[in-house]
Amino acid sequence: MFEILRKTLKTGTVTTQYPNRPETAPEGFRGKPELFPEKCTYCGECVKACPPGVIWLNEDNDGKSLALSYCGCIFCGRCEEVCPSDAVKLTREYELASKTKDDLVTIIRRKI
Amino acid sequence: MTVEDELEIMGQRLNEKIKNIFGRSLHIREVDAGSCNACEVEVTALSNPIYDIERFGIHIVASPRHADMLLVTGPVTRNMELALLKTYNATPEPKLVAAMGSCACNGGIFGDTYASGGGIDKFIPVDVYIPGCPPRPQAVIFGLMVAVDKLDQKIRKKEA
Repeated sequence: MFEILRKTLKTGTVTTQYPNRPETAPEGFRGKPELFPEKCTYCGECVKACPPGVIWLNEDNDGKSLALSYCGCIFCGRCEEVCPSDAVKLTREYELASKTKDDLVTIIRRKI
Repeated sequence: MTVEDELEIMGQRLNEKIKNIFGRSLHIREVDAGSCNACEVEVTALSNPIYDIERFGIHIVASPRHADMLLVTGPVTRNMELALLKTYNATPEPKLVAAMGSCACNGGIFGDTYASGGGIDKFIPVDVYIPGCPPRPQAVIFGLMVAVDKLDQKIRKKEA
């Protein structure tokens, strides 16, 4: 019994202070993918590579746009791997919960 | 106001909100609608000493009749469709539904196919989406904070 008590005292409190104190994800964590509109060439490589298919490329008279939904994203990092111009980068951000699906979509555009 | 300040205030308000709305605590029923079990592992991690959601008065219960909130994981397979609907109907009002993980949000890697429903919002109304494959326990806590805020609105709407 003294052994258990000794271990308990030695370990101390392990509970995180999470919502009260923000916590960053560890190095190498794959979180929210970020798009850089100034680097993107709208080549569509990420659209082909995305396993759940949550990246879309749209073309109309105004120009091209690329949309990414975090809703079905599995955070595999394939888009970052295949992008020839480094326009997608996975950040360490993980607080993505939202009340609507539309809030989870990011769109970048280029006008012609 | 920085993000850190905002989070600190949110954490303090969570406890107050739960007390105001439910009396004492929020009870969650976890429903596995064809998940790969990764999300279940994260839900289990929520009640371990490190994340410990019981400190906010959030409990995971064994029956939907005891629950205020359903935490649904998985893309809703054909076999789990009826079970999910029955669980939803057995939960007393006011109830919340949280879609946990990318599969629950819109099918994720399984997509919308013959055997996979492609997201739980096609079967039952969803109040909060928690993306991630699987979401970290911290991300789930954040999702629960967002959900509790939504319930406040729901009750006000009913009263108005």
